[in-house]
Parts: sequence; C-alpha cells; structure tokens
Amino acid sequence: MSDPELDFKPSRGFSMGVELELQILNSRDYNLARDAADLLALLEKTPHPGAVKPEITESMIELNSSVHHRHETLIAELTRIRDTLAEAAGRLNLRIAGGGSHPFHAWTDRRIYPTERFKRILEVYGYLAKQFTIFGQHVHVGCPDGDAALYLLHALARYVPHFIALSASSPFQQGEDTSYHSSRLNTVSAFPLSGHAPFVHAWAEFINYFNKMKGFGIVESMKDFYWDIRPKPEYGTVEVRVFDTPLTVERAAMLAAYTQSLARYLLLERPLTPLRDVYLLYRHNRFQACRYGLDGTLVDAYTQRHTVIRDDVLDTLKVIAPHAAELGASTALGELADDIAAGRDEVAWLRQQYKSCGSLNDVARMQSELWMGHALATA
Amino acid sequence: MSAFDFLPSFPSSPNPVLLFGLLLLAGFAGGELVQRGLRLPRITGYVLAGLVLGTSGLGLIDKRLAAEAQMFVNIGLGIILFELGRRLDFKWLWRDRWFAAAALAESALSFFFIYGALAYFGIQPLHATIAAAIGVATSPAVVMLVAQELRAEGQITERALTLVAINSVAAFILATMLLSWLHHEYRASWLTMVSHPLYLLGGSLLIGYLASGAAILLARWIGKREERQLVMLLGMIVLAVGCAAALNLSVMLSLLAFGVASRNLDRNHELMQVNISHIGQIFFVVLFVVTGAILNVNDLIAGGGMALVYILARFIGKAIGILSLTHFSGIRPGSGGLLCLALTPMSGLAIEMMHGTTRLYPDFGATLAPIVLSAVLLLELIGPAAVQFALRKAGEAQEEEK
Repeated sequence: MSDPELDFKPSRGFSMGVELELQILNSRDYNLARDAADLLALLEKTPHPGAVKPEITESMIELNSSVHHRHETLIAELTRIRDTLAEAAGRLNLRIAGGGSHPFHAWTDRRIYPTERFKRILEVYGYLAKQFTIFGQHVHVGCPDGDAALYLLHALARYVPHFIALSASSPFQQGEDTSYHSSRLNTVSAFPLSGHAPFVHAWAEFINYFNKMKGFGIVESMKDFYWDIRPKPEYGTVEVRVFDTPLTVERAAMLAAYTQSLARYLLLERPLTPLRDVYLLYRHNRFQACRYGLDGTLVDAYTQRHTVIRDDVLDTLKVIAPHAAELGASTALGELADDIAAGRDEVAWLRQQYKSCGSLNDVARMQSELWMGHALATA
Repeated sequence: MSAFDFLPSFPSSPNPVLLFGLLLLAGFAGGELVQRGLRLPRITGYVLAGLVLGTSGLGLIDKRLAAEAQMFVNIGLGIILFELGRRLDFKWLWRDRWFAAAALAESALSFFFIYGALAYFGIQPLHATIAAAIGVATSPAVVMLVAQELRAEGQITERALTLVAINSVAAFILATMLLSWLHHEYRASWLTMVSHPLYLLGGSLLIGYLASGAAILLARWIGKREERQLVMLLGMIVLAVGCAAALNLSVMLSLLAFGVASRNLDRNHELMQVNISHIGQIFFVVLFVVTGAILNVNDLIAGGGMALVYILARFIGKAIGILSLTHFSGIRPGSGGLLCLALTPMSGLAIEMMHGTTRLYPDFGATLAPIVLSAVLLLELIGPAAVQFALRKAGEAQEEEK
C-alpha cells in the first residue's frame, strides 16, 4: 500500500462521469487544425462547468464532465460544456466534431501537444504517438471498493463488444473507408500495454501486479496501461475506454447511462462469476464488434452460444431495465433501444453522408455541424 | 532566298515561353541560394534574382520584357488573390467582432499615419493621400507564400491572412476613390471623375461575381472530383484574369471578389478546397522575379529617406490598430505583436496600384514613384523575413519539430 496512487477511494451510489476526446477542425477544408492551445487559452477566460484539457496532439481536445448520478444532470452539463466549447471555437474560426476518427487527415501532419508526458510518449512510441490522433469516450462508474471494481471490470469484459458496436463512429481513416465500424481500436491495439487488465480479483493482488510491473521498469503510473477497461483508484471508479467518441453529446450521455445501469445490475445482482474464458474469446468478440458493429457475432463464454451483438444488447437492455429505472435512465435507454430497432447508427449515417455529398471533407463538415448543433448557428 | 533561311534570325524577338523558362529558373536558383545560404525565405531570393537580371543589375530584363512577362505575373497574382478571397469568412468576422474592428482600425490608422508623415515632410496632399492608400495594403503574395513555405497553420497565420485580405480591399477601394480627386486635379471632365472609379469597382466586382457563379455551376456538374475541379478553377481564374486585363479593370479586385464570392455564395458546398497554389507555384516565382526586375535601386537615392519615413509611419499605424484591439478578440495574449510583423510586406500589389494610378498621368507618377517604389523595394527584402520570423515565433511553422 506504499503507493498513494493505488489507494482506492470509495465512490457511492453508482456515480458516473464522462470524458470525450474531440476533433478540432479548420473551417476551410475541415481537415484537423492545430489550435488546441489557443482554444484552451480562450476557454480559460470563459466560465464553464466540467473541465477541458489538452490531448496527445494539437488537433485534439478533451472534455470532462463532473461526477453525476443521473442521466438528466449529465446531459444538461454536457450540453452546457458543448455550447461553451462551440462558442469559443467559433470565435477562433474553428469547428469541433465528434466521431472516433477524422475521415481524412494525414497522421504525418500531426504535432504533439507540448507537455512533458506527451513528449515522452512520442519518444517511446515514435509514429504511433501521432497515429494516436483518434478520439474516444471514456465512461467512469463509481465502485464502493477495489475488490468490487475488479469484479465489475471482469464482468464488464463480456460486454465490451456492446460498447464498441454502440459507439462505433470511425469507418473512415486517412482518406479511406476502412470497411470497419470502429477502425479506431485497431490503432490502440498497436500499443504494447493495450488489451485487458490481468485476471486478478482482490485489490491487494492488483497492487502486487502493479508494483511488479513498476519494478520491471515498464510502467510509472496507471496512465501507462492502455487497457480497454481500467480501474482508476484515485477516482474510485472503473473506466471503460473502448467507446468511439459519438457524433453528439446526447449519444455520449446515452452510452454513459447504459454503462451505469449495466454496472448497477452487475454489482448488485452479481449474475456473472469472472471467467477466464471471457478473455479467451475477448479478441475475437472485440474484432467482430469493430468490423461489423451491431451485426457482428458474439460468442458468449458463459453459455457458449453465438449471438448477434444487436440481439444481445436488446436482451441486456431488458434485463437491466429495473436498474435503469432506479437510476432515472429509462427514457435514455428507451431511446437507445428505439435507435437500435430502427437501425439508426452513426456509421451508417457517416457512410450515407459520404455517398450523398461525395467527399470526405463534406463528411467532416457534417460531423462538426452535427456536434456543434445550434451553437454553430448562433455563435 | 538564302540556303540558311531555316535558321532563326538574331537578335530574335522576345519569345514568351523562353522568357518564362528563364525567369523561372533564375528565380529558382536565387531562392535556393538564399534559403540554403542565408536561411531566408525563398521569396527574397526570387526578388534578388530579379534585381540582378533587371534594370538595377545586368539589364537583361528591360521594360519591354517585363511588360511581356506581365501576363504570367497577372496569373500568379490572380491565383493568390483568389485563394486569399476564399479565406475571407464574414461569419467569422461577425463572431469575433473585436478582430473585425482591429482589421478596420489597422487599415484606417496606417492610412492616416502615412498621410500625416508625408504631409509633415512637405509632400502635397494628393500625392500623400494616394501614397497612403497604397500603403494600407500588405502583400498577399508574400504572406501567403511564406506561410506555405513554412507549412504554417494556426491562429496567427489565419488571422494575418484575413487582415491582408481586408487591408487589400480597403487599399483598393481607397485608391479607386482617390482617382476622382486625381482626375479633378488634372482637369478631366466630371463624367470621367465619376464614371472611372465606378467602372473599376463595379466591373471588377461583376467579373468576380460571374466567375464564382459559373465555377459553382460547373462544380455541381463535375461533382466532387478534386483533379477536375482543380483544372476547372484554374481555367476560370485565368479567364477572369484575362477578362479583367482586357477590359482595363483591376485583376486584383476581380480575383479577390471571385474568391470571396466563391466561398460565401457556395451554400451547398459544391466547390472543393483544391490546392491551386501548388500548381500556382511556378507563376509565383516568376511574379517575384519580375517584381525585382522592375524595381530600380536608383529610386533609393531619390526616395530612400522618405521611403523610410513611409515604412515607419505605416508600421506604427498598423501596430496601434492591432495592438489596441486584438487584446479583446479571441487571440492568445502577446501574439498581437507577431501579427503586426506579419503585416509588414508590400509588393506587386502596390506596384500595380502605383502604375494603375499613374498610367493616366505620368508626370504625377514621377514624384510619387521613387518614394513608394523604394519602400516596396526595401520591404520586398525585409518583409518575407519578418513574416517568417512572426510565424516561427508563433510556433505555427510545421518544420519546427524537426
């Protein structure tokens, strides 16, 4: 217990928080711009809820919500931060967009945001650091203690394909249609410390693992692990990191509500025992979700059944409905179910824009118009 | 009939293609030397090559050849002004009104400061006013090309280019309006006084408007195909340049209007952001070599002292305009000074305006030319370096990281 970073601070009542990595575009050809520093400086002068931070390259910005217990307060806050951000971007003639990848930027044009940590990442990972200009959403869910966090982490691993398929919004990369729903995660997989957390169940074991890795000189802090799901002891949360940043904050809040309701179900009912087999199937299931989205197939380690991810999500939504009701997330999850049933998904939307407008510049433009919403018109 | 009639006669009449090639290679060589040897922007090398070849140097490019090359110069200027116009975004100016205010203040103050300084040193009012109007404009070509060479991108680059677009328009409108006064001074009829500026403004704007309308229609027809849109736009630019020149209108204003209209009227985003400057590069080299060739170092003897006054007054006017107001705009603190520096260059634009106003009344030009053209000559050499410094200092140059 020597490392204070590893003290698990207990959280109450299934709290949640959202981080969104966003794209900064110019308003001429809608390529990525490099104005993160100017945008951050301007936002510093403007009061707003939550927090806004730099990310690895100068074309990215990260938006953080504060801690919430209910969907309605989360969406209210995210909307306010979005409007502030959109207004500031407007003053600098920039655009902000959601989506897991920028459709056509060239990674060679990217520049690292000049902080010590990001410079070190560039030094260690070389070009991967610049290719890391991809945009994810992280959802934190509060846990009462470290053991519960590890239980939740392993239980959620079965649902990782859900998170990927529901948030997928990166079909285009470097000017090409990748044929994937989420091409972003392929970029993450290149990092040696990506993947999943070790199969340990007690927080004390986890600390041992961490200290060992630190002793090997491989990591310095928890931040060096790029796992899909990661415990965040200093916040007292489990952080799901496989989401592509959705195209709107509404969708982002919806996904947070889904994660929160699912976590409440898992933690209170403990329906699943952590199973090593989940990790045996992990990469296969993850690939299916990245490649085919909700149409992908999921092999359930617990039943050995093959199901379509879409059906598995719809089933899960039914099972967790009582928990959603307790958390005030019924409406949000109802909308999510409607979207799935109606086949409304963001990848389809992006491909449709490309088909009707004919250029990826237009796709990026539409992405930014969708994300900024009315704030762009009034700004 | 002799047996050797198939051989060319010497000295041969000027051949535009030969001339173009020579200018291009001379500029290229100058640019490389200056860039490698002195770490200065290539543009400075193009101008120096021009000075060496031109009236001030070896005299290889005389007035006649320079006039012959004017065609290429116009195409180069046309491409640059079109690109510049495409960057002028009225919605942005509305959103960042303090910045718009700074742009107007910068133009107005540089005009008044130059006028004041020249008048103080005894230049007569009409001359001082016209020289001041010309000084309002920053060279779009220099700022845009240095930005391109450095692959600069960011707030300072973006804002500098927008300021240049605005002060170019302001300078042009001022100079055109002053034509009436000039006509009046030279006892031209009142009809000329009124109709000449109107013709220039109206005609140039109309060309720009029509060209943009045609380009948007053609783009809709072609679809989103980058190579084809590039060829179409290039054709439209050259056509507009040709029309403006044939009709005695302003190439600059026509093409600037073309650019502005094709951004702001293209509601359905039919036109792609194709990279015209890439192809335009060859014209830009020639543009600067010719500029260097027609500038005369001897002007410095006649007008050098006043040129320094002119440059200083211009800089102070621009600096006060920008520093007093950009603080309130979205800009990062402390970067206003860099914007001022980036606005230093003067070039081809000023020369064309100078000639535009003096073509009609040559003796008028004789007193004004040494001052304005000396200033242009000096700034042609200092300006690119100033822009390079500003954009590097702002951290917006791409090469920085290497």
